[in-house]
Amino acid sequence: MTLLSKKKAQAITKAALRAKTVDALAVSITSEESGYLRFSQNQAAATGETERLDVSVTATTGERSATVTGAYVDDAGLRALVGRAEALAKLAPNNPENMPPVAAQTYLAVDEEDAKTAKMGAEERFEMTRKLLRVANKARLDAAGMVSHRHRAAVIANSAGLFAYHPSTSVSLSMTCRTRDGTGSGWGAAMEHQLAAIDPAAVAERAAEKAELSKDPEPVEPGAYTVILEPQAVAELLSFLGWALDRRSADEGRSAFAKPGGGTQIGEALFHPSITLRSDPSAPDHPSSPFAGDGQALPKTTWIDRGVLKTLSTSRFWAAKSGVAAVPQPRSLILGGTSKTDDELIQGVDEGILVTRFWYNRMLQPQSILATGLTRDGTFQIKGGKISKSIKNLRYNESPLTMLKNVLALGTPKRVALDGQTVVVPTMVVGGFTFSSLSDAV
Amino acid sequence: MSSSRRSFLVTTGLASAGALLPRSRAWAAPAFREPAADSAPSPASQTEATLAVSRLLADEALAKRAVEVAEKAGATYADARLVLWARERISVRDDHISGVGGGDEYGIGVRVLADGAWGFAASSELNRGSVEALAKKAVAMAQRNGRLRRSPIELAPTPVVTGTWVAPFEIDPFGVPLQDKADMLLGAAQAALRVPGISHVSASLMIVREEKLLITSEGSRTHQVFFRTMPGLTASAVDVRQGRFASRNHEVAPMLAGWEHVMGAKLVDEAPRIAQEALQKLHAATVEPGLKTVILAPSNLWLTIHESIGHSTELDRALGMEANFAGTSFIKPETTGELRIGAERVNFFADRTQAGGLATTAWDDEAVAAQRWPIVKDGILVGWQTTRELAGAIGEKASRGCSYADSYGSIAFQRMPNISLQPGTEGYTTEDLINATDDGVLITGRGSWSIDQQRYNFQFGGQTFWEIKNGRLRRPLRDVAYQANTIEFWSSCDMIGGPGTYRLGGSFSDGKGEPGQVNAVSHGCPPARFKANVLNTGGAK
Repeated sequence: MTLLSKKKAQAITKAALRAKTVDALAVSITSEESGYLRFSQNQAAATGETERLDVSVTATTGERSATVTGAYVDDAGLRALVGRAEALAKLAPNNPENMPPVAAQTYLAVDEEDAKTAKMGAEERFEMTRKLLRVANKARLDAAGMVSHRHRAAVIANSAGLFAYHPSTSVSLSMTCRTRDGTGSGWGAAMEHQLAAIDPAAVAERAAEKAELSKDPEPVEPGAYTVILEPQAVAELLSFLGWALDRRSADEGRSAFAKPGGGTQIGEALFHPSITLRSDPSAPDHPSSPFAGDGQALPKTTWIDRGVLKTLSTSRFWAAKSGVAAVPQPRSLILGGTSKTDDELIQGVDEGILVTRFWYNRMLQPQSILATGLTRDGTFQIKGGKISKSIKNLRYNESPLTMLKNVLALGTPKRVALDGQTVVVPTMVVGGFTFSSLSDAV
Repeated sequence: MSSSRRSFLVTTGLASAGALLPRSRAWAAPAFREPAADSAPSPASQTEATLAVSRLLADEALAKRAVEVAEKAGATYADARLVLWARERISVRDDHISGVGGGDEYGIGVRVLADGAWGFAASSELNRGSVEALAKKAVAMAQRNGRLRRSPIELAPTPVVTGTWVAPFEIDPFGVPLQDKADMLLGAAQAALRVPGISHVSASLMIVREEKLLITSEGSRTHQVFFRTMPGLTASAVDVRQGRFASRNHEVAPMLAGWEHVMGAKLVDEAPRIAQEALQKLHAATVEPGLKTVILAPSNLWLTIHESIGHSTELDRALGMEANFAGTSFIKPETTGELRIGAERVNFFADRTQAGGLATTAWDDEAVAAQRWPIVKDGILVGWQTTRELAGAIGEKASRGCSYADSYGSIAFQRMPNISLQPGTEGYTTEDLINATDDGVLITGRGSWSIDQQRYNFQFGGQTFWEIKNGRLRRPLRDVAYQANTIEFWSSCDMIGGPGTYRLGGSFSDGKGEPGQVNAVSHGCPPARFKANVLNTGGAK
């Protein structure tokens, strides 16, 4: 099996669309080759490669619609899949919110496919892992982590004349180092669309350094602190905001961006003036898919502009119903920053807590986007502009809204390791961030 | 209403409080209350008929071929799994169907041990050339990885088995007409929406069928089918003026069962009560935080068991093999037989044999037979979850049968069996626990949950919360979460319900591993009483 070419994708989708006997048909295909090498206890644990070709067919008749997925084997199998989707659609009850297929679109030019990354295999995984383990072994630390990569083609076509093909590559690695006495733990990770942008040794050095620095943590009193949130921590909190940036739930009074008494808070200065949150599929170093799952073009979008809420994502149904423009949910989030380094940010904090990343983050209260979770893999007290000591991990009960309101300083934006979205955010210094309890976890 | 139930109700106005009690749960069919057996339940009566028409049989020769080729290429052990998943999902929002979908996922995964290291290759393409290439690729990868091993992987021996098993079910959920399913969900949503004050209702149904045929180089062959069903209903009430809303979920658990389980949930009949409880929650008093006595209903406690006991006794975690993602464990293997995890009355068993349990099977993905074994006995840690790779690390001679892969495209590794809190010997009812409590909170249902990577500090929400004063339920509360540390929490357990109060809860989406995999697992428990920090999660608004 090799990755599905554009030509072959056109042939398959045409064959599926030719088999249509109902009002409308949409076909999406994912072709993927992926590989990984997982390691723990400073040795290889498992390695694998998987190739798959999945097809999803959505048939619509009137207001009835159904989606069926399966593996692509041949055109006969494909026609059978279309037949099943159509049969299911005819049985499906009316859905008044059903929308016709998306018409042909113009997409931003995006190049997310890197030839070297596409060619990655067992040898590259092995070499990268060896580089990571060399650092851990030298430092006498326990190491666990993973190197993984994928080459993917996403395809969407429908009976309204739309055809979209987007090839992409991704490579990621992450590593946890733990001190042998079990009191220190550090983490480092990188994710890029091109292999050349990844520096395994740098990731390993970072994990090792954090592990050693975090040994023998001391307790601090839970409470409100000034925090320095590294990009991974910022991204984890920001992901809760992503869900809330939806127009319908705001219109219906179910979200943080509902105005008391009705309507949304679009146009209001809800955040610190330094906050600008955008999406851009064509961002030069951090490209992402130019189209959404249904084929809608993903435009450059500004969600928050200098602290003012500008845009909420709006489904096509809700857009038509409320007479506003549809805004698809983004595949990328870019939070603007400065050119300051993390060291410069730390120097500017008299007293605070440095957070490497958060863990087990869960929503508590959608209305205020109150969430909980714990710090992990390197939590430090800052005194007089310097790391003064390692502290025990803390549980937070806090909202990303606080993070975007109480901004004290921003660092340089970086791509973080999060699956499914391209997220580029800076380190943030935030005041009045609430920790509620201590954890003994290392 | 029985007299014992009336005794703890302050006013008859709180009619729905009675429904908080497990005894009124119509959908917990008797079979699911039985304590687990020592071996897998008898296969479904339809086993032979179900397997005879299996499409996997046509590809069995390919699986055998893959194992052969792997051995020839240098594998010391190899297995090939043909795995077929069928899924169907229907969701309803208010008065309309918001989604109908389904699909199949089918392919082959080849796992090999060569030069003391694992290699794995998988594909959805099934032909002789393809599977031979997979087998060779997997062996080459393993041999390369052998150079990154400090010690070779060794598998604990297991008897060679040949067997077939279809998990017990009465009605094939895929055979039920879509229209019937839609009508039931729409009917439930309508019934909830008719309750004044309810603004939105969502109802859903997820049914899955997992089928796998495993061939090992040791000569084992197992062919199994599992039906799992998950009905769901959520009602939301919005107070626009105060800008506040509350949601309430039906507490029905997903089960290893057929359509009979969905019918037993009685979504349409239960919907008005769910709706009433959403309103009750919206207008409930906000909780006063502090260290409190909490009584946790099985519908809430199962998840606390999953997170605090289930994950901490996964041996691969304790050994550091999950350190980079899910985390490690606060428990060290060398403390087995000595470490006190809870009060003397606290006993946990692990099993893959419980009728209805989502992790129940006849053989695992290494052809090891399902079994039941103690994890915590009289409050002391005594056992672990293991696979053939892991058993030796704690000096055990055989695997506990916890190997599982979530699709043809995933490698099998240690996944959680059903782990359940055993009922107390006093035979307490939920009423007994409430009556014995002067000041506390009764918590039911699953809310938010979060726990650290070594499983010390956790914080859980719930669905409904009742203030208990002087042995009676006084009033509903909202904005409640409880936080505790695992050992302190289980040590504070001072009352456990009897066998009649035991229920299963469970999840389709227990996540672990890199690349991430999901596992379906159940946890049985009676209601039990603890001390925990109760937090107010009301937030800024």
